[in-house]
Amino acid sequence: MSRALALRLEPYLYAAPSLLLIAAIMLVPLVTGLSYAFHDLILLDPLSGDFVGLDHFREMLDDDGFWTALRNTVVWTAVSVALQFGFGLILALLLDRPFPGRGLVQALVFLPWAVPGFLSGLTWAWLFNPVIGPLPHWLHGLGLLATPENILSDPHLALWGPIAANVWWGIPFFAITLLAALQSIPKDIYEAAAMDGAGPLLRFRRVTLPLLAPTIAITVMLRTVWVANFAELIVVMTKGGPADATQILSSYIFTLAFQRLDFGYASAVAAVLLVLLLAYAAAVMVLRHAMTERA
Amino acid sequence: MATITLSNLSKDYGGGPVLRGIDLEIREGEFVALMGPSGCGKSTLLRLIAGLEEPSGGEIRIDGRRVNEVAPKDRDLAMVFQSYALYPHMTVRENMSFALKQRRLPQAEITRAVEGAAAKLGLTNLLERKPKALSGGQRQRVAMGRAIVRNPKAFLFDEPLSNLDARLREQMRYEIRKLHRELGATSVYVTHDQVEAMTMADRIVALNDGAIQQVGAPQELYDQPANLFVAGFLGSPPMNFVDATLAPDGALVAEGQTLARVSPPAGLAAGTTLTLGLRPERLALTDPTKGSAVRVDVVETTGTGRVVHLALGPQRLKLFTMDPRPLAPGDVVGLVVPPGAPLLFDPVSGARLS
Ligand SMILES: Nc1ncnc2c1ncn2[C@@H]1O[C@H](COP(=O)(O)OP(=O)(O)OP(=O)(O)O)[C@@H](O)[C@H]1O
Ligand SMILES: [Mg+2]
Repeated sequence: MSRALALRLEPYLYAAPSLLLIAAIMLVPLVTGLSYAFHDLILLDPLSGDFVGLDHFREMLDDDGFWTALRNTVVWTAVSVALQFGFGLILALLLDRPFPGRGLVQALVFLPWAVPGFLSGLTWAWLFNPVIGPLPHWLHGLGLLATPENILSDPHLALWGPIAANVWWGIPFFAITLLAALQSIPKDIYEAAAMDGAGPLLRFRRVTLPLLAPTIAITVMLRTVWVANFAELIVVMTKGGPADATQILSSYIFTLAFQRLDFGYASAVAAVLLVLLLAYAAAVMVLRHAMTERA
Repeated sequence: MATITLSNLSKDYGGGPVLRGIDLEIREGEFVALMGPSGCGKSTLLRLIAGLEEPSGGEIRIDGRRVNEVAPKDRDLAMVFQSYALYPHMTVRENMSFALKQRRLPQAEITRAVEGAAAKLGLTNLLERKPKALSGGQRQRVAMGRAIVRNPKAFLFDEPLSNLDARLREQMRYEIRKLHRELGATSVYVTHDQVEAMTMADRIVALNDGAIQQVGAPQELYDQPANLFVAGFLGSPPMNFVDATLAPDGALVAEGQTLARVSPPAGLAAGTTLTLGLRPERLALTDPTKGSAVRVDVVETTGTGRVVHLALGPQRLKLFTMDPRPLAPGDVVGLVVPPGAPLLFDPVSGARLS
């Protein structure tokens, strides 16, 4: 081998091990998974395995279960993230000012984050059970429920059960990250704004929010992708039911793959979810870029 | 423009008093320097005036109105922070307009005020930049600009120049003074730098340990310091302090040598131990036979002259001289203390006696 060629190859050789690793760990499973979407692949059916092109995607257009799940995914994600963010921000603002016992309260507030998802799903399922849980009776007492029954078995209300659990479980994430961002804003900027004639509300709008904006953008994006994929609470609390009324795409994929054993169709739905989330992330990035350009 | 009156003001964060019994009247249009060592409570005093801290006792009045309970935003004071505290997400123009926008002034008026201030401070070409794209000196100017556009009752400065290099500091010192002359606004300027205090202030408030030591014009504090603290804080090289004894004939004797003669102050018995304050630039050198014999320890050249470190027995003195005579460490020379040069201090209380 000539010396010149060896020199030309050198950088690629250095990079090769990491590229191979990335390919093996990330790309191979991804490509394999995506390729299932174009095959008829049903577990326990030895005759399946043929290439079917876009058949699965055509099937999806007429699949009510898919459209319900897609609608539910949007509601589930938007409501959960919005409430997690809202309560998380309020909590972070409360915890940002000193008060006696702050350390203890901070530790308690962050506790839900440490509870495994399926455990909080179970607990909330019990809380919504009128036989052992108080929530139906409280909701009835407040006049929100006509009778103290289990909302998890009402197709119109069942999604709110996992959403409640998800909000409770996800608030600490926003509280922690927003509190850290709040504490990195120098106090003298607030003092300067106070001297400049801004009251608490204006200081929040003109100083706190703009300085939190980059953190808000990145955490909301991460959280949205994560919540959209987060089927655990739904699987534990409603199993997607009653009658698929609470399926979101990721729980629907799980049901398709492991109950109907239709890996091909499940992969096709997963591919759609992936594309939607990528499009969402790209949109947020563009928006964020535009905002920081202007800011 | 305003008068600021502090009466018996005190502050305690819970760990003992940080400020005690502060009585001070800052007159209309006056430039007052709050001077003292680190931790003496300068910033705390300024923040009390600004309303960013609540006093533990006493009263603050602005133009005669008690403001203890008035929020910072309603005191109409402008503050320049040591860290500048610029709004990082706003351009220079937005930083400077912020306060005016809160007051809902018409846009045309805001633009005029901001551009006027920017022109005064040489910021015209930087108006659309963010603070992070500015040098330290430029940020400092923006902080000043943010204060002057408001045309406040008074300016509060907390060590605004301490993050600048020596040359820029000197230039800004001059510019702040010039601005003060133009605007004529009451200004309170916190500094630990005696040169800043001496060169800029109409009056200096010397603070130590949370209490006012002396208030007066710079020259007054320099020539007639109330106590050892003020005497030692002003001047570079600092004042020499020599332990001496008062002889019956008024001679001041240190290490067996008569340094100077004074008419003994009333009530001082012969044999009293005193602390003698001697300004380095008021001392002179002569032949060993003509003055008190001292040994040269170190000679430092400053350009304008020399700082000579002298040993008088175990005591050390500094002398500033423009005398060109050859001097080498180890030489024995004569020290002359002109009449009127020594200040006498009580070594225990630190108070000046003469
Ligand atoms: N928020 C606070 N809580 C408790 N003690 C404080 C607080 N702020 C200041 N102190 C104390 O008050 C004293 C005076 O502080 P201050 O900041 O006024 O000093 P300073 O004269 O401005 O010093 P420097 O020149 O270093 O800025 C210090 O001993 C400091 O530790
Ligand atoms: Mg300070």
